[in-house]
Amino acid sequence: MTTRGETRNLLKGLAFLSPWLVGLAVFMLLPIVLSLYYSLCDYNLFQPPVFIGSENYRSLFNDAIFWRSLRITLLYAAISIPMALFVSLGVALLLNVKIRTQPLFRTLIFFPSLVPTIASAMLWKWMFNQQLGLINRMLDPVLNFFHLAAPPWLDSSNWVVPSLAIMSVWSVGNTVVIYLAGLQDVPRELYEAAELDGAGALGRLWNVTLPMISPVIFFNLIMAIIGILQIFDTPFMMTKGGPNRASYFFTYYLYDNAFTNMKMGYASAMGWIQLLLVLALTGIAFWSSKKWVHYQGK
Amino acid sequence: MLKYFSRFILGVLVTAALVVLIFGPRPESALPPGRENDTIIHYWEKWNGPEGASMQQIVDDFNGSVGKRKHIFVEMMSISDINQKTLVATAGGVPPDVAGLWDPMVVQFGSLQALEPLEDLAAAKGITADYYLPVFWNACHFNGHLYALVSTPASIALIYNKKIFHDNADKLRAAGLDPDTYPKSIDELDRYSDVLTEFTTDSRGRRHVLRAGYLPMSPDYDWYVTSMPLWFGASEWNVATHRFTLTDPGVIRAFEWMQSFPKKYGKEVVSEFSTAQGGFNSAQNAFIAGKLAMQMQGPWMANYIHLLNPAMDHDWAAAPFPSDVPGLENVTYCPFDTLMIPRGSHHIPEAFEFIAFVNTQPEMEKLCRLHCKNSPLAHPSWDFLHNHPNPYISVFQNLAASPNAHVTMQCPIAPEAGAELTAIVQGVLAMEIDPRAALENAQERLQAEYDLFEENLRRRIGAN
Repeated sequence: MTTRGETRNLLKGLAFLSPWLVGLAVFMLLPIVLSLYYSLCDYNLFQPPVFIGSENYRSLFNDAIFWRSLRITLLYAAISIPMALFVSLGVALLLNVKIRTQPLFRTLIFFPSLVPTIASAMLWKWMFNQQLGLINRMLDPVLNFFHLAAPPWLDSSNWVVPSLAIMSVWSVGNTVVIYLAGLQDVPRELYEAAELDGAGALGRLWNVTLPMISPVIFFNLIMAIIGILQIFDTPFMMTKGGPNRASYFFTYYLYDNAFTNMKMGYASAMGWIQLLLVLALTGIAFWSSKKWVHYQGK
Repeated sequence: MLKYFSRFILGVLVTAALVVLIFGPRPESALPPGRENDTIIHYWEKWNGPEGASMQQIVDDFNGSVGKRKHIFVEMMSISDINQKTLVATAGGVPPDVAGLWDPMVVQFGSLQALEPLEDLAAAKGITADYYLPVFWNACHFNGHLYALVSTPASIALIYNKKIFHDNADKLRAAGLDPDTYPKSIDELDRYSDVLTEFTTDSRGRRHVLRAGYLPMSPDYDWYVTSMPLWFGASEWNVATHRFTLTDPGVIRAFEWMQSFPKKYGKEVVSEFSTAQGGFNSAQNAFIAGKLAMQMQGPWMANYIHLLNPAMDHDWAAAPFPSDVPGLENVTYCPFDTLMIPRGSHHIPEAFEFIAFVNTQPEMEKLCRLHCKNSPLAHPSWDFLHNHPNPYISVFQNLAASPNAHVTMQCPIAPEAGAELTAIVQGVLAMEIDPRAALENAQERLQAEYDLFEENLRRRIGAN
């Protein structure tokens, strides 16, 4: 049983929390609930929604573009998630080495994360240009030696997704910072013990560093799954989903359905499928984490 | 103690909030002195840069004349992704009073009932069909309602580089072609293109286009190519039967013709050449850079040529883009910009005052001249045709007046169809898809989409 004072304190606490609570309810919970309802409706924003049951979901399963956009998104995730995780881990390991210029390198690696997406998209668009781009200018002499042609990057259906995945490495700065924090938490005595047991550099990395930072790797994996499956801004600015819809990602198709084709119900159904997909992949990651994530104190 | 402290903090926060609300910053009024009581018309426009500045001149003209007399003040704001933002704002009940959108939105927005009908307002101002060229007036209507008036129009023509023609006169004559004129059929266009296209081979034996005669490019650069079937005597949508006609022989022939370029010149070579362009309005545009002899473009190119490569001012000319069908002449596609009043505008009569003002002959001709475009009016003035910055404006004007002038497909799902056709053009030019198979597939998909749209429409009417 709560006293009057406790009730009053509770009300005061809620009063202080109310801006956030109202924001959560109005801008998060309500849209989530409404989107679930709209996903069962024919709704174009202008006329009241008409309930149509599971028709949007059934239409999605027969929609070739839906499946294609899903396939493209999963392909992108399959390339860029491991690449982002391994590259950022490698960079973090290098940046963790005590050298005089360590702060400079850390700054340089983090710097691209501060560049606005629109600016980096424009920059990379020209870098990937098959005729004038910096990348092909650098690759040309090497590839010519092997009688190979430089890739057409963004202008080819086969290359556009790998190109965007390569570009995603440009902004690994945030992930690197998280890895660095994890690396600095690894107790020195574990390395000393491993050294006494005769472990070399690779042995220490495999047996000490990776198990000790496995919760950080797991965190970065989850964030990457959530973020990468929602990719939208970069292809929107760089490729407009082309060529021949080869970079028409899931979220891009969702956006077009919602705001270009005004099929808000259909887009809501896509949003819920996307949520289920993220949940499923995150669930798999959590399930697998029992085998490779080690928490201190457990 | 804690109790008094928390009360104090809460009091400070509430007082601060009240002070900010009562005495806090207010948006500065854009109204000039003496006009504080005018009705403000919020006008969203897609243009920025020089085109936006030109429109601002018309807005200023209105604010200084009719607006001043009738106490109306128009505030123009450049908006990116204007069609999406206008739709969302309209659905949210806070639309702009006037929206400057593209012509396909007349049908899309009209079918969503997102626009105010203007026929009564137009009739009251004496604005009637005979004032406009039919192609524009008709396309401002949907389902029997007038939903828009024109802000600026265009017609698409063949723009060619006379200097390249003259520099290669001997080669053209040897191929039986006249260097002093332009191609009159698609077959002739192919022959001109083959003669004028030059390749270079690098030290490693790889071929590159040094100069192209004509090349259809991805809609990112050349956004009219999706309308190419018009020049093959076909259209992609039958407005009477409400059916897509993507498997019409003329449509298939148009897409096969586009694919003939990467087939004969090499897909990598064509792709490399096309993608080196920075955009149609950039100095990298192959035509402006003198690396492309012929291009399908609108009248505004005169502005961009003058701005980006003035040395080329006297080297180019415009003519009707040739047709593939004997006897089918002066075929053109007429994209145009519109002024519409979104549903829920709070100042409809005042907003229409502005739209009507833009459509008066002096203001319309001023704007079209500034944008270097033709006029939508049935009877443009002598001065407009003879003192226009585009020396070939009469070519564009005649094309727009032609019975073979067409607008974009009058279909409520035109944005979806446009995206589908864009993807097909890209796939066709990259030789990744067979035009016939892709069009058959698109026909099935888009028709199903349209049928669903109609079914939903019927269901909504039934439900409401």
